[in-house]
Amino acid sequence: MGKRKYILDLNDLQFKQIRHPLRKKFLHSIIWFSGSVALTVLYAGFIQNYFGSPKEHLLNQQIENIKLKYALAEKELDLSMKNIKSLEKSDEMRYRPVLMMESIPGIIRNPGFGGVERFADLNGYMYSYLMKSTLGRIEEMKNMLNVQNESFATIKDKSEEWKFEKNHMPVISPVDPSFPLGDRYGFREKHPVLGYGRMHYGQDFEVPYGTKVYATGDGKVIEAGNSGSGFGNLVVIDHGYGLVTIYAHLSKINVPKDLNVKRGDMIGLSGSSGTLSTGPHLHYQINKSGTPVNAINFFNNDITKQEFDEMIQAFGSDSIFR
Amino acid sequence: MPKSRYRFNPESLSFDKIKLGVRSVVLRGLAYLVGSLLVAIVYYLVFASFFDSPKEKALIREINQLTLQYDIIHREMDNLDKVIVQLEEKDDNLYRTIFEAEPIPKTQRESGVGGINRYESLEGYNNSNIVIETAKKLDNLKKKIVVQSKSYDDLYNLAANKEEMLQSIPAIMPISDKDLTRVASGFGLRIHPYYKIVKFHAGMDFTAPMGTDIYATGNGTVKDVISSQRGLGNHVIIDHGFGINSIYAHLDKPNVRKGQKVQRGDVIGFVGNTGMSLAPHLHYEIKLNGKNVDPVNYYFNDLTAAEYEKLIEIASKTGQSFD
Repeated sequence: MGKRKYILDLNDLQFKQIRHPLRKKFLHSIIWFSGSVALTVLYAGFIQNYFGSPKEHLLNQQIENIKLKYALAEKELDLSMKNIKSLEKSDEMRYRPVLMMESIPGIIRNPGFGGVERFADLNGYMYSYLMKSTLGRIEEMKNMLNVQNESFATIKDKSEEWKFEKNHMPVISPVDPSFPLGDRYGFREKHPVLGYGRMHYGQDFEVPYGTKVYATGDGKVIEAGNSGSGFGNLVVIDHGYGLVTIYAHLSKINVPKDLNVKRGDMIGLSGSSGTLSTGPHLHYQINKSGTPVNAINFFNNDITKQEFDEMIQAFGSDSIFR
Repeated sequence: MPKSRYRFNPESLSFDKIKLGVRSVVLRGLAYLVGSLLVAIVYYLVFASFFDSPKEKALIREINQLTLQYDIIHREMDNLDKVIVQLEEKDDNLYRTIFEAEPIPKTQRESGVGGINRYESLEGYNNSNIVIETAKKLDNLKKKIVVQSKSYDDLYNLAANKEEMLQSIPAIMPISDKDLTRVASGFGLRIHPYYKIVKFHAGMDFTAPMGTDIYATGNGTVKDVISSQRGLGNHVIIDHGFGINSIYAHLDKPNVRKGQKVQRGDVIGFVGNTGMSLAPHLHYEIKLNGKNVDPVNYYFNDLTAAEYEKLIEIASKTGQSFD
């Protein structure tokens, strides 16, 4: 075989075939291997330095895609924020003024979150800021929604109270408004029965005998029967909020004491009972915290007979007492 | 000195010294280089499939964290949306309770449509820039439109300045209502808040906190300032000439005297709850030659077309009035 290599031994001047012992072969291969590894590292280092590894490219591409997702999430958050703001507007601009509630200070609605310190576990990433700011916004919005939720709950309670109060206000005419008004609240020079000057605490309605008289607001009947005084048969309704209405000189009483009545409930028929009545009429009086006030200020007679009937029917309670 | 190597030549039966020419040295070097490269690639592939470079490790860590946080964000956003929907329902219910009217339909809300992933189809590799660019362009267009409409406003103002009449005719809202959230009831048949029957409502109602400024809607003279505990409560009537009067009712207190000259935008009083009134609000009427007309036709100064459309929609709802 021509491949054999020889070496000239200068000691005995003979050519000797070069033979590598196993140990030497092993050593050789180790040297060769480490050399190639070193070269590989060199190559790789060089390429990575200037071009980046293919894997890195893929990873960077992935990061770009995730960043896009974050950007889209931010857009969605913008929309959610708009919706939250619209709820806040509804709260502050609509409900609170109507219910006479104080507005919620901005510092409570949106206290701001000591920024990004809340997400310390996200420190040390390339995109720490991105993650923290998106999460921070969500936290902020969650807080806003909590405040809003509580606010709506308060408003709901308040609105129910408000409705309750509104329903209890004596705001309608106790009789068909097409009947003429009689004597007003104020000093009367000459009382028709007593003959001398005296304060008149109610509003009179000139209604014929047997005209239906209606409760002017929700409340509880605290007196029903003959007063044994000048008022004759009377009904007194306590509306709460310091307001009491008195319907006097009735010919018939339709409600027992302690009954809860609603606005528009027919409580009796008008008449001329009592010693201080000279003819059929209704004496309607409103007491506020125990003091008579001018009842005319509590209702508008801007309603026709037909509308009044319609209204009484709409309250739907007339028939119960007929 | 390196030991010379020899090769046995079977033809001449002699040992020839092995000589290496420059070419063969270069060739050998090249071969070694190529060989080492090939080997390097094999090593690299094997290595890379088992181990990551520090840079890659950092990137992977980044991706994992970003993905993890994105999942959290995604979930949280779903929750946010759910809560928002719940609160919107509560809002609607409150509106029904307090205003006794159907709330503004959902489509009117400034809400986005669809879920969180409606841009998913755009999540391509090179699309992100297009999306962002398009959004930017849209924003610019919007800005241009606003600028355009502003210039029309300017033209209008130029014309307005020439005409005393245009200064006198009521042309603004009597109360600051940028978001149109204050309009509670319009002109026409409305449910009466106490009578609970349909009655003619001669003006527009704006809810506002007690004490809110009320503006004269056009130049004119204060025709009357009336204090009353009934009906319209404390109210101010302004005569604008040209057969037009405007009425501002249920005031907490007026800010003008009878006979006083007022200019559009002057504060003529403050919102209150006097007279027959359900809650603090301003009842605003316009009378043309003694007859009530719909005030909604008299806001042309301070509303854009879109706002105007929205206002008409709100005002036309057949809910209850506030007085």
